[in-house]
Amino acid sequence: MALFHNDNTPMIDRYRWWEVIAIYAGIFVFLFFMLAPFIEGFLVSLKPLAELFSTPYSFWPENGSFDAYFTMWERVPGFAWYVFNSFLISTVATVIVLLLVVPAAYAFARFDFRGMGLVLGGFLAVSMFSGAVLLIPLFRLMRTLGMLNTYWAMIVPGAAFLIPSAIWLLRTYMMRIPTELNEAAYTDGASQFYTFRRVILPIASPGIIVVAIVTFIGAYSQQFIFALTFNSKTEYMPLPIGLYAFFGKQDVVWNELMAAAFVGIAPALVIIFFLQRYLVGGLTAGAVK
Amino acid sequence: MGQLSLKNVVKTFGPIEVVKGVNLDVTEGEFVVFVGPSGCGKSTLLRMIAGLEHTSAGDIVIDDKRVNDLPPVERGIAMVFQSYALYPHMSVYENIAFPLRVEKAPEAVIREKVTAAAKILHLDQRLQQKPGQLSGGQRQRVAIGRAIVREPGIFLFDEPLSNLDAALRADMRIELTRLHKQLGATMIYVTHDQVEAMTMADRIVVLNGGYISQVGAPLELYHKPQNTFVAGFIGNPRMNFLPVTCKAVTDQGAVIDWQGQAVTIPVHAPANAVGQTLSLGIRPEHLRLSGGEMSLAVTPGVVEHLGQQTIAYATLKDSETGFCIVLPGDQKLDADTDVSVSFNAADCHLFDASGAALERRGTFGAAET
Repeated sequence: MALFHNDNTPMIDRYRWWEVIAIYAGIFVFLFFMLAPFIEGFLVSLKPLAELFSTPYSFWPENGSFDAYFTMWERVPGFAWYVFNSFLISTVATVIVLLLVVPAAYAFARFDFRGMGLVLGGFLAVSMFSGAVLLIPLFRLMRTLGMLNTYWAMIVPGAAFLIPSAIWLLRTYMMRIPTELNEAAYTDGASQFYTFRRVILPIASPGIIVVAIVTFIGAYSQQFIFALTFNSKTEYMPLPIGLYAFFGKQDVVWNELMAAAFVGIAPALVIIFFLQRYLVGGLTAGAVK
Repeated sequence: MGQLSLKNVVKTFGPIEVVKGVNLDVTEGEFVVFVGPSGCGKSTLLRMIAGLEHTSAGDIVIDDKRVNDLPPVERGIAMVFQSYALYPHMSVYENIAFPLRVEKAPEAVIREKVTAAAKILHLDQRLQQKPGQLSGGQRQRVAIGRAIVREPGIFLFDEPLSNLDAALRADMRIELTRLHKQLGATMIYVTHDQVEAMTMADRIVVLNGGYISQVGAPLELYHKPQNTFVAGFIGNPRMNFLPVTCKAVTDQGAVIDWQGQAVTIPVHAPANAVGQTLSLGIRPEHLRLSGGEMSLAVTPGVVEHLGQQTIAYATLKDSETGFCIVLPGDQKLDADTDVSVSFNAADCHLFDASGAALERRGTFGAAET
């Protein structure tokens, strides 16, 4: 009895009933840990502030409403600007990463050159550094380059930190594209660039979209540390700093903070859903054999 | 257009020499098949002609021009890959049009050439489909179409039918032979399938261990193999070999002795062959149950009744030496029951201790003497 399809997809039907229960139980535990904070965060955004501090604490809202989604704009009038900044920083960082990573991944996937292993290993090694370790040298660099207190202070280091993993991800994808396609194009007279543009790029598009999504999410979530260190101007501050505005001197407006957090990730979700439409499998079907 | 010369061509991968000094002339319009076992260098040689592998030494000359340092597109060749190598995101039309788009041909020319190629290859109804929607045979035809539109002097085929099932392979063989006649272009075809080699080739090049073992017309290779390798490689099931002693050399040939039976094998044998141990080659299909000039007892182990013929995989009696017999389909043969088989001296081949053939006398089929 085969455990896997030809395409390595597990066949859940082939498992025994108790194995199926164990698998779903495992999935449930992971999903619970991942989704529970989101669910509670969403429920908190629906509760009036008084209800949040009532005892006993009720998980489900008793007087639930979307009021916080309206009042949050009054408490932090510039919130939309923070969201826009985050969106702008992530988008530009993603575009820069893709512009650099797509040709680099192709080169690493297709050409054999001296020192390639070293360079790839180097990428892996530097991506293991936490951004926090490099903050002070990066600060000096940013100051020297005159990038402090600009969007670039968040875009450039953000992109730089995301490039290594993006190269690894896309290189692996591109290595699965049959080399015979390059050879066929070469015998037909196509230049490297023509082949890259007309043959490889369209076939690699699902991989590129995955890299775009991962990079965009990465850029969206790593802004806090760069924004705090390299930027002191409100007009360039991204979403995480904006969320801080809901922390008052004495108290925290939890329901509005949660509502703002959900509003803040909405643009990212829109982008991801938009890109996901182009995530189609089987693009290489019929290429070879 | 379409003349090819290989002059002492060598290919090394690091310390390993894969192609070891190959010399070959292919005339215009010829269908030449490179055949040989896995790792013999046939595909490497084809890729060198294509320009996909660098030539380590020697010259590749196409139409009197040394092309060693030219990219494939300037060599006047087109290649059809074993794996088809179709562009999966493009339609059949765009796949076939690809080489023309690369050279920026006018749209009208592209349409005309693609349509013509599709017609030849019976792909007219499939032009808007993607490769993923086609059968294996259709995909291979698209790959051939992509080669045709370039109107090359030389077509290179790298085991193009090996991914197809047996029935489709037979059909495609016929189609390719027809295509060769229709286009009149030089075709160089790599395969490990000797049926493809025998049925399609004007000349077969048998490669072994990086060397050319023999070049000749299919029947010439069958009837007059120059060595034991070619004798064993061409013909299916493969030729049987028996160690025999040369008793004498006469005007009629070499007199050999096999377990007390003496027969004269009609070959040109040198006088010093007398007393030497030679290899007697006899093809399974030249054996019969009675009526031959020489006979031997064998024990069939496995008997395959194929209807058209009966194949017995036997051993010589009281020996472990394998011996294959092909008899007409209606012959009854039982496994594990000793049987006497015989053959005629004129059907035999003789090889010296180095494996080189002693030239056979006479004319055989279409082979020249």
